[in-house]
Amino acid sequence: MRILKGNPVSRGIALGKVYIYKAFKADVHESYFEAGKEDEYFEKYEDAVRTAEKELENIIDSMSVESPEKAKIFTAHVEILMDEEVAEGVKEMIYDNRTMPDYAVDEVYTDFANLLEKAKDPLIAARAADLRDVRNRVLRILKGEKESNLSSLRDSVIVVAHDLLPSDTATMDREHVMGIITEVGGATSHTAIIARSYKIPALLGVSDATEIMKNGDNVIMDALTGKVLLDPEKETIKEYQEKLVEYIKEERETSQYLDKIPLVASGERFSIGLNVGSTDPDESFKYVDFVGLFRTEFVYMNSEHMPTEQEQFDSYKKVLANAMGNPVTLRTLDIGGDKTLRYLALPKEDNPFLGNRALRLCLDHPEMFKTQLRAALRASALGPLQIMFPMVGTMDDIRAGKAAVEEAKQELRKQGIAFDEKINVGIMIEIPSIAMIADMAAKEVDFASVGTNDLTQYLHAVDRMNPAITEYFQSMSPSMFRILGRIFAEFNKAGKPVSVCGELAGDHLGALVMFGLGLRKFSMNSANIARVKRTLSLFTLEEAENIAKTAQNLATEADVIAYVKAEVDKRS
Amino acid sequence: MYTKKTELKNASGLHARPASEFVALAKKFESKVTVQRLDDEAALPANAKSIIKILAQGMAVGTPIEIAADGPDEVEAVEKLYDLVESKFGED
Repeated sequence: MRILKGNPVSRGIALGKVYIYKAFKADVHESYFEAGKEDEYFEKYEDAVRTAEKELENIIDSMSVESPEKAKIFTAHVEILMDEEVAEGVKEMIYDNRTMPDYAVDEVYTDFANLLEKAKDPLIAARAADLRDVRNRVLRILKGEKESNLSSLRDSVIVVAHDLLPSDTATMDREHVMGIITEVGGATSHTAIIARSYKIPALLGVSDATEIMKNGDNVIMDALTGKVLLDPEKETIKEYQEKLVEYIKEERETSQYLDKIPLVASGERFSIGLNVGSTDPDESFKYVDFVGLFRTEFVYMNSEHMPTEQEQFDSYKKVLANAMGNPVTLRTLDIGGDKTLRYLALPKEDNPFLGNRALRLCLDHPEMFKTQLRAALRASALGPLQIMFPMVGTMDDIRAGKAAVEEAKQELRKQGIAFDEKINVGIMIEIPSIAMIADMAAKEVDFASVGTNDLTQYLHAVDRMNPAITEYFQSMSPSMFRILGRIFAEFNKAGKPVSVCGELAGDHLGALVMFGLGLRKFSMNSANIARVKRTLSLFTLEEAENIAKTAQNLATEADVIAYVKAEVDKRS
Repeated sequence: MYTKKTELKNASGLHARPASEFVALAKKFESKVTVQRLDDEAALPANAKSIIKILAQGMAVGTPIEIAADGPDEVEAVEKLYDLVESKFGED
């Protein structure tokens, strides 16, 4: 039995078969065949098209009931696959030039994709991505490789991949994914966040996972301690089946705290918020007081084109309805860094996390930004919505963001379109430079929310996507608790609401320390609500304050974690 | 050869679903069918049976177009496609 180590970013245990997910990479070279074989090679192409059609129809069938919107993408792929001009183009190259089918397919599709990309209408230009997608499907079939995608898994599997992209997880068949193992990524990567919100156990940073494991291998994935056990013996399997039962039982006990009013032992009330990133209804909305982070990226990432104002408005409206009258904090588009859009060409950057991302990118694309702000403002007429800018570093950023909101408001006023005139506008605090002037920032904004993932990344100078340095990513460090204490104190003093919507708010140990530092609003993924409510209920305000003070003065993150954990264990 | 001129009246033009419907209908006829935009001198007749060619024309609402067909069922082809455009593809 071999053991691989990884970073357990989403808790749980899974026993099952491995499914290796490799995105197909087309590798085509200019090549020709000898005369007389034209029919044979054209038939190969036609066979590939038939297989591709069958694949697409299977996907459409499996999706049409549950997610008809996603099925439409694949219906469009069938149209492209069956396009008369594509077929003509390929036929000509095969018969007139004796071009190998893969090269012919690559050439014809690439030409057409380039043609569409030149269209003035961004909706049409975006269709080029579909052509490339269909091209890859046909090329893969010509190469004799099987379809591998996460949207149509037949059995329950543990997905093993180099990395999962936002587009992979968007189409992922959640029902059949028991666990996720990737070679790269840390606790705050996209994969980790998605895994936690879907409650799928995940181990990231498992080196060479896709090389060492094979499709169908039996493995045990222990995402409590961070291990993958390959080819386990019978006794080990039995031991883990028992552990799994115990784990589920423990989770169930914690979950009894889910619908309790969030109070500490001395009676002070705190509030729990939910982080959301889709329009899906979720029963967790019942157990929270607000939506502290509404990530709007999904509207952009699930779209084939730049979403229109109306499309965005429709999504925001749904989230407001899901929130059942509780306030919703809408974070404006946060792309760049590890998130990109296929229809928005952005230059490659050497340091994307220090680059043109989030608010910076929006200020750089004023029309795109205005569309979102108009949609958000219109939605504010329907319910309590507030707007929050990510990646704010200076007072200039705050002023530029607010000016953009003002401009959008002016336009709507002129057009006689309703919105909330008194809408709150706030900021994310994730860059140390704004944390250092929290007192001044508090005067110019209506509220703030701390993004602890990026704050850790920028405070500790640690690229959170780099698996080689995950141990340097220390969100429970004394430095973090010192800067957080300062932020909370300044906002509390100014009488402006402050919350934390980063991962640390959902970590029961981190939440406890932050309560002691003066934080009262914790926004998190649904999976963490019960645990945070339970842990905080075990402490009085005075105890929490003492723990916070001690944590700020311990030397290392390891010391802090060991100390806080011991305090919690004593009372559990 | 049979032709007819009109103008796109539906809000989304010959994009997305309307384009798909237009191409699907054109494919039902044996004749060669084309669409040409009349507001651009450089525009050539585009194969109406190719979704990619139709999309590449970027025909928005208000674009004047000519539908042409050549073959055994040319009149029916043009008339049916003309009717589809006139129906605004069920939009409104």
